[in-house]
Amino acid sequence: MKNELAFILFLIAVSSSFDTITQVILKGAINKLQFSPSANILKILRFILRIVSIPRVWISFLFSALSLCVWLFVLSKTDLNLAFSLDSMHYIFIASASKMVLKEKVGLKRWLGTMLIVVGIVLVTLS
Amino acid sequence: MKFIFKKKLTARIFALLVFMDILETATHLCFKKSVLPEGGFYVANIVDLITFLKAAFFSPFLWLGLLSVLVTFVMWSTVLSKIDLSVAVPVCSFSYVLVPLVSIFFLGEQVNMLRWAGIFFILCGVIFVSLSSQEKEAAHP
Repeated sequence: MKNELAFILFLIAVSSSFDTITQVILKGAINKLQFSPSANILKILRFILRIVSIPRVWISFLFSALSLCVWLFVLSKTDLNLAFSLDSMHYIFIASASKMVLKEKVGLKRWLGTMLIVVGIVLVTLS
Repeated sequence: MKFIFKKKLTARIFALLVFMDILETATHLCFKKSVLPEGGFYVANIVDLITFLKAAFFSPFLWLGLLSVLVTFVMWSTVLSKIDLSVAVPVCSFSYVLVPLVSIFFLGEQVNMLRWAGIFFILCGVIFVSLSSQEKEAAHP
């Protein structure tokens, strides 16, 4: 039973890491474009076309698919509430990766907010 | 001309993120409806597999789900071009507040203290993260 929980925890960590990789690659590609569309359908379409023409972005789609597969496997193995509460570690991964890879300024306030969200999600899903 | 990112989380981006979250839930529901027939399915051989794929392919829910994935991607990319990743992702957790609140007001569900506490924590967290994005804008005028 204890082993099984560790295995589930490991799988959720894998799924979260893959999703974090997806988001970091996508955000990195968008940062490099240095272009932000306004509320104009044509401009948004051109923006999207530019994003999907970057090869890296397709690698991120692959990671996204992998993450989804692992996640669906987790959901088939365990309780939904437990899975969602453990998945809140995703937010910590995203904050760390944003700080380290994307050089975003994650200050005290943002860390505090992220931690509060993690605690909140654990409370909501386990109650 | 060097492009400067505006990183402030505005009400419009916030609304976009919340809408995106709802759409994502709809996506999951659509896929679940399209792929899983009632009573589950069992694929024993290749003929079964083809029947299953054919049924999934002709299900309108599959296409609705794919369309919704596409729209979500467009919205998410647009949002990411405007704000930091470490702001966009935490703000998405607002759906954890929205779903219980909707079920309280529209479905008359009972909510215990622990869940209220969780909702409160998430709300505070989202507020802190939003504030941190405003702060940055002020630091670099």
